[in-house]
Amino acid sequence: MKRRIFLVAASSFAMAVSFGAMAADPIKVGFPMILSGPGALFGEPALKGAQMYVEEVNAKGGVLGRKIQLISRDTKGNADEAVRVVRELILREDVNFIVGTLTSAEGPAVSPIAKENKIVFVAPITKTDQLTAPANLHPYVFRSASTTTIEGRTAAEIVAKWPVTRIATISPDYAYGQDVTKAFVEHLKKIKPSVEIVDQQWPKLGEADYTPFINAQLAKRPEAVFSSLWGGHFVTFAKQAKPLNYFQAINNNFIGAGEAASIESTKSMGADYPVGIWGNSYDVFDWPDGPQSHKDYIARLKKFTNEEHPSSWPITGYIAMQFLTAAIAKAGSIDSDKVSAAMKDISVDTPLGKMTMRAKDHQANHGQFWGKTKRDPKYPFAVIENVTRIDPAPFMD
Amino acid sequence: MINRIPWVLVIFLVALWVPWYGSRFYTFLATDIAILALFALSLNLLLGYTGLVSFGHAAYFGIGAYTSAILMKTHGMPFAVSFPAAGLMAAAFALVFGYFCVRLTKIYFAMLTLAFAQIVWAICFKWNDVTGGEQGMPNVPYPDMSWMAAIPGLGGLRLGDQFYLLVLVLVALAVAALRRIVSSPFGRMLTVIRENPERAEFIGINVRRYQLAAFAVAGFFAGLAGALFGIFNRGVFPDFAYWTKSAEVLIMTILGGMGHFWGPAVGAMVLTLLNQQITSYTEYWPLILGSILVILLFGFPGGIVGALVAAGRRLTRRGNA
Repeated sequence: MKRRIFLVAASSFAMAVSFGAMAADPIKVGFPMILSGPGALFGEPALKGAQMYVEEVNAKGGVLGRKIQLISRDTKGNADEAVRVVRELILREDVNFIVGTLTSAEGPAVSPIAKENKIVFVAPITKTDQLTAPANLHPYVFRSASTTTIEGRTAAEIVAKWPVTRIATISPDYAYGQDVTKAFVEHLKKIKPSVEIVDQQWPKLGEADYTPFINAQLAKRPEAVFSSLWGGHFVTFAKQAKPLNYFQAINNNFIGAGEAASIESTKSMGADYPVGIWGNSYDVFDWPDGPQSHKDYIARLKKFTNEEHPSSWPITGYIAMQFLTAAIAKAGSIDSDKVSAAMKDISVDTPLGKMTMRAKDHQANHGQFWGKTKRDPKYPFAVIENVTRIDPAPFMD
Repeated sequence: MINRIPWVLVIFLVALWVPWYGSRFYTFLATDIAILALFALSLNLLLGYTGLVSFGHAAYFGIGAYTSAILMKTHGMPFAVSFPAAGLMAAAFALVFGYFCVRLTKIYFAMLTLAFAQIVWAICFKWNDVTGGEQGMPNVPYPDMSWMAAIPGLGGLRLGDQFYLLVLVLVALAVAALRRIVSSPFGRMLTVIRENPERAEFIGINVRRYQLAAFAVAGFFAGLAGALFGIFNRGVFPDFAYWTKSAEVLIMTILGGMGHFWGPAVGAMVLTLLNQQITSYTEYWPLILGSILVILLFGFPGGIVGALVAAGRRLTRRGNA
């Protein structure tokens, strides 16, 4: 008899211990991201942002009493490698959620894997409209990133206010360049019917010599130019355009999507940067009119990354993790279907202000920073003045 | 004694049981390895048997993948049509590209294969309406495998496991065909050409025509591997035809040993497992993977299988003495 009581006590104790252990198990989040090659310049800081958020949440006790564990993997910038690591994360590491991918190929490639395995997937950077287009939408894919539609239309809202009518575009000839340029042109024509598109240049992605495109464009005498040359492509283009007096000819009425005004672009060009043009960025470390939460975030980020002028990319990973954590808290569970339901119409106070994940297309109203670049004696690179953030909510459809 | 065991059959039978080990991860790995093994074996028909170094073998893998994906996804064709079509399309392209390539020798041949592969990549990358451009074609459907339910024991399996069995059987058939080809008079001729093309020419062999035939056959099997990989990967992307993919399959072939029929298959397995393990443990994987490859390639100049065969021979000789 005594022995039986002992057994019952022992086994219930063991059960309690194992339940306790279960409750303390971390929530695993797989984070596929480009961590090698040229794309790592953007992928590494995005991961840093997510890591910083996880550290902050865990310091406060985690979510649902459980810590979050981030498991990162290198996608090498390949869609098929992204698919492979995501499957490995799901099948071997037993992750509960996936947050990550960078290029417009990686995001849509991973989405069907999330659907098949019923794992909620939040895309922090991928901008292509395809990801959440009606044909590809499913209960488990969400995007905290901006989109090509938001990016192109926001640029159109800005250009519509300029006293110009003869508009030209220059964009790399592939999906992203085409989509964002189309969104810009269509929206601009709609809100300002007097504009005329006088020229459209389509250099191939990775073009080394932009001179013929620049000359052809100048010959059409545009008053303003929209570009979606991003990252190193913009740097190459701008270095070749400056000596041809391209930016002077259009009076600096140049607006660069694809993060042309991000600290990454301005830093890498230094004194060569065509100061005075407009561009966008995911984040700015100096946002005088911004909310206190943004200033606090930048202060924490400086400490976390040990950078005097932190990158503009960590905010992407940070916000994606905020959305996921908020949805887990709201669902009170890590069950994919419950979290998916909780994610719909959820609002999150991000360092950039309040953002909402729309229920109908699983898309956050994530606009970017836009502004005219200027030289500031405080910094050895160009910065954005009069930082503008336009809430894209009114023109996302 | 060791020689009497039909190793290939044993490995095939063991591989058949993978879905029943219970881990979806093992099935996933095994599918990956089986498909890439076929890809590497197809390259070895050129590299090891004909002595042609192709830097652009991924082109035919990519063409096969896109052909099957476009037929299945865009046109709703059954897998039974799209699978052979992928092989035939890849072979047709290999025939056209090969026609020009075999006119060159050595490094010039290699560079031209690379150039054609980059053209294929550029077409996949740019032709948005058909190939989906940079974003590729996600969501390639699984073939209809409901007929498997009629086979006792297979009905309850997951889709991924059923697909694995399908892949395994198809790869086994393709490899058997490849094996038959290399041991046929045609295959022997290729070896003659590899050893001494001038001499082969003198005894009346049309060297270019044989090389072209080998090129097309290798393209055919690469196309089949591509078709399977597109479905397995749940999408096809321009990266499939990129030069890095060609380099990867070249490394697999050399690592496993191009002097032995099964070498490339072993190379595919080792490289896939290494990549899998190392990328999950460290973000500095390029350094470690590179170091391991350098050591393996220096340590086993005949590849892994070459080294094993040599070691096996030494053992049996000692045993006999």
